Amino acid sequence: MSATDHVSVEVRDLRREFKTKEAPVVALDGISFQVREGEVFGVLGPNGAGKTTTIRILSTLLLPTSGTAKVMGFDVSTEPEKVRHVINMASGAEKAGYDFITAKKNLWFFSQLYGLPSAVAEARIRELSELLGLTKYLDRKFYALSTGYRQRATIARAFINDPKVVFLDEPTIGLDVMTARSIREFLRSEAKRNGRTVMLATHNMAEVEAICDRVAIIDRGKIIAAGTPDSLKRALGAPALVMEVSPPPKSFDFLTGVAGVRGFTSATDEERDLSTVQVVVGDDDAAAEAAKRVQAEGLKVIASWRKPASLEEVFVALVGRGFKEREEQGGD
Amino acid sequence: MRARALVRLWSIYGEPLWVIVNMGFPILSSLAFSLLYLSIGAGSYVGFAVLGGVMVSFWSNVLWSMASQFNWDKQDGMFEIYLTSPASITAILIGMSLGGIINTVPSAAIVTAIGWALFHPVVYASWGAVVLTFFLTLAALYALGMTLSSLYLVYGREAESMNNVLQEPVSMFSGVYFPSIGAFSPFPFAVQLAASLIPLTIGMDALRRSLFFGQGFSGVSLDLFLLADLSVAFLIASMVALKALERKGRTDGTISVRIR
Amino acid sequence: MLSFRSLFAAAWMGVQHDLAWTAPVASLLLNVVAPFASVMTVSIIYWFGASHGTSAFDPTHLAYILVGAALYAHIAAYAWVPTTAIAEGKNLAVFPHIYITSRSTAVYLAGRALSSFVISTVTSLLALCLAFFAIGSVLHASVPLLVTPLSLAMLGVALLVNIPGALGLGYLLGAYSLYASKFEWSLPGYVAGLLMVFSGALFPPTILPWPLSAGAAALPFTFFISAARDALIYGLPGEYAVSLAYCAVGGVIMLAVFLQVYLKAEKRARRDGVLDRRLA
Repeated sequence: MSATDHVSVEVRDLRREFKTKEAPVVALDGISFQVREGEVFGVLGPNGAGKTTTIRILSTLLLPTSGTAKVMGFDVSTEPEKVRHVINMASGAEKAGYDFITAKKNLWFFSQLYGLPSAVAEARIRELSELLGLTKYLDRKFYALSTGYRQRATIARAFINDPKVVFLDEPTIGLDVMTARSIREFLRSEAKRNGRTVMLATHNMAEVEAICDRVAIIDRGKIIAAGTPDSLKRALGAPALVMEVSPPPKSFDFLTGVAGVRGFTSATDEERDLSTVQVVVGDDDAAAEAAKRVQAEGLKVIASWRKPASLEEVFVALVGRGFKEREEQGGD
Repeated sequence: MRARALVRLWSIYGEPLWVIVNMGFPILSSLAFSLLYLSIGAGSYVGFAVLGGVMVSFWSNVLWSMASQFNWDKQDGMFEIYLTSPASITAILIGMSLGGIINTVPSAAIVTAIGWALFHPVVYASWGAVVLTFFLTLAALYALGMTLSSLYLVYGREAESMNNVLQEPVSMFSGVYFPSIGAFSPFPFAVQLAASLIPLTIGMDALRRSLFFGQGFSGVSLDLFLLADLSVAFLIASMVALKALERKGRTDGTISVRIR
Repeated sequence: MLSFRSLFAAAWMGVQHDLAWTAPVASLLLNVVAPFASVMTVSIIYWFGASHGTSAFDPTHLAYILVGAALYAHIAAYAWVPTTAIAEGKNLAVFPHIYITSRSTAVYLAGRALSSFVISTVTSLLALCLAFFAIGSVLHASVPLLVTPLSLAMLGVALLVNIPGALGLGYLLGAYSLYASKFEWSLPGYVAGLLMVFSGALFPPTILPWPLSAGAAALPFTFFISAARDALIYGLPGEYAVSLAYCAVGGVIMLAVFLQVYLKAEKRARRDGVLDRRLA
C-alpha cells in the first residue's frame, strides 16, 4: 500500500466533459490542487462552477475525462476500491436516508456496508450522535426528522466509517443559523482532533471563512485562485466600496471603465427603489473615482461605506462579477 | 379541469414511450390467458382474455395514476399548491380522470390490435351497447379512483401497498378474464353481490354479453343503469371524502408530510 | 468483494422495506393476498374453460396450473427487486452512498433479492395452500397434490437451486435500472408477464411458436417449475433430478453472464456520471 506523506488529496490537470445533444459541456477544465492531511479545504464557486463534479470524481462516483486524482495515494480511476475504504461523502441538498426506518438504523445499515462489527458501529453511532446533538432523535423514523436533524444524521453517516477523507457538498445548505454553526464546529473539530481531511464544496463564503484552512476558488471549471482565506483577502489591497444608489440603473457596466476598479456586484431593492453596488478596488483613489463616475451617470449616492475584504470581493476581483451575475451568465 | 387533463396529455405526448410502458403487463397477461384458454381446448373464450387485457389497462391506470396520484403529489409538494389554489379539487380529479382515460387509450388500443391479430376472437357484437357500456364502465371506474385518491391521502405510503393488494383480488372478483357474476360464476351469490359494487364487475359482464353474445341495449339495460348509479355514487362519495379528509389533514397537519 | 456482513445488512434492509410499514405479521398476510388472487384467477379460468370448452375437466391439469401460477409469481417477486432497489435508492439519494462504500452494490442487490426470496417463498406457499382449500370449497374440485416430507424437501431444494437464475435476471434488469431515470417501475410488470408466458407456468412452452418455444423450454425457470411439479404432483424423482440439473446449470450460467453485464453497466454508469442521477 502506498500513501504519499502529508498529502491526502492530489489532483492534476483534471478534466471532465459531459456529452449533450448540443456541444459537449466542459465541467472541469484541467484543475490541479493538493490537500494536506488534517486540513479543512474549501472549494468555493457559484452554481455550475464545477464544485460538485470535483467531489463526484474524488468520491469515485464519476470518472474524469483526463487527468489524475489521488486520494490517500490511491488513484480514483484505477484503484477506486482502495479509495472507498478511506473516504466517505455527504450532500447537503439530498439528506439521503431510508424514510421507513429510524435514523439509528440508517446509520447502522451504512456501518455494515463498511464492514464495522455491530458493537463498534453502535459505539460510533452513540459518539457521533452526541457530537452532533442527534441522540434524542435517533429512534425517530427518518421521514419524521426535521430538515436540520436529517442533515445531522446525514453528516453522521459521512463519518460512520472513521474515514481519512470526507467529501461534503454544500453540507449546511437550507439550514438555520444555529444548526449550520454546530455542523461547522463539528467538522472543524473532526479535522483538528482526529487529523481527518475535510473537503468542502460550497458557495457559502461565510462558511469557508469560518472553517476552511485553505480554499480554492473555482469558476467555469477552472481554479482561479487558491490559498488561505486571509492571504486571498490580503491580496486585494483596499477595502471594497459599497454604495446605495438611486434610482437603480439598468446596469453598472460603466464602472468597468474606471481605472483601478477590479469588478463589482450589485443587487436591486425595488421596494426602496435603489441598488446596492459593491465595487472591488485596487486602492482608495479608485474608490473615489468610482463614486464620482456613479454621480456622473446622474445617479444619487444615498449612502456609501468601505467594507472589509471578504472572499466575495476576491471572486469579484478575479472574475469581474459576483456569484449571482456569474450564475445568470450561465455557469453550467 | 382542462388544465389538469392537459398536463396528463402532455406527459404522454412528450414521452411516447409511456404507451409501451403502460401496455406491458396488460398485453402479456392477455397473451398468457389467451394461450391458456387455447391450451385447455377453450379457444372460443379467447376473446374474454383479450377484452380482459384491455380493461386491465384502465384498471391499472385507475389504481396507479388516479388513486395514488394525490399521495405522490403530496410527496412532491404539489398537493399543497392544489389546496391553496382557488381551483376545486374535484375538478382537478375529474381533469386527471379525463387525461388518464385518454392516456390509456393508445396502449389499450394496441392490446386490442395485438390480441385480435394473434387470436382472431369471434365477435358477435351489438356495437351501440358495447360503446355505451364501455364509456359508462370507465366513468364508474374513474369515479371509484377519485374516491380511492382521497383515502390514499390519509394512508400515505401504505397507498402503494394497498395498490399491490387491491389489483389482483379486484381483477379476480370483477371477472376480468372470466365471468364472475351470473350463471357461469364460480362464486356464491353473496360474493357476486359484493363484487357487483365494483364497477369493473358489472362493466366486464355487460361488455362480454354485448360484444361476444350480441346482447343489445335491452339485454344490458340493468347493467347500464347500475353503472350510471355507481358513477354518481362514487363521484359524490369522493367529494364528501375529500372534504372530510382535507379537514382532517389540516387539523392533524398531515397535508404536507412528505414520505419518500 | 463478497462480504457476508453487507449481504445480511442488505437483506435486513429488504425486510424493513417490505414489512416495516404496517405490523410485520399483518404486512406478511397482506403480501399473500395478491399471489393468492393471482393463483385463484388462473385456476378459475381453467375451471371455466374446461367446463365449457372441448376438453374435460382434469384435476391433474388444474394442479399443473396451480403450481405454475404460484411459482412464476414467486420468481418475479424477487427477480425484480434489484431494479426497484436501485430506483428506490436513487429516489432517496442513498444509492450513490451505497456505491462508494467499500462493498460492491452487487452484494447489496443480492441481499435485497434474498430477503425478498424468503418473503415471497412464504407468501407463495401460503397462497398455494389457501388456493388448494379455496378451490375445494369454491370450485368443488379436489387438487391432487403430493404433500409429503420428501416432496416438500424436493420443492425446497428446487426453490434454492432456482435462486442463481432469478438473481441473474435481477442483475440484468438492474443493469438497465442503473441507466434508467424513468420507467424502471414498469419492469416488474413486464417481468411477471414474460414469466407467465415463457416459463411454462400456465401451459407447456411447446404451445408457443418456434423459436419462442425453444427459448422458453431452455429457461432455467421452466425447469424449476417442471421440477416443482415433478415433486408436488407427479412424484417422479428421476425427472425431477434432470429438471433440477438443467435449472442449476442454466441458472449458474445466467448468473455468471448477467452479473458481468451488471458490473460492466456499473462501470459505464460511473464513466457517464449517471449513478447519482435523480429519477424523473
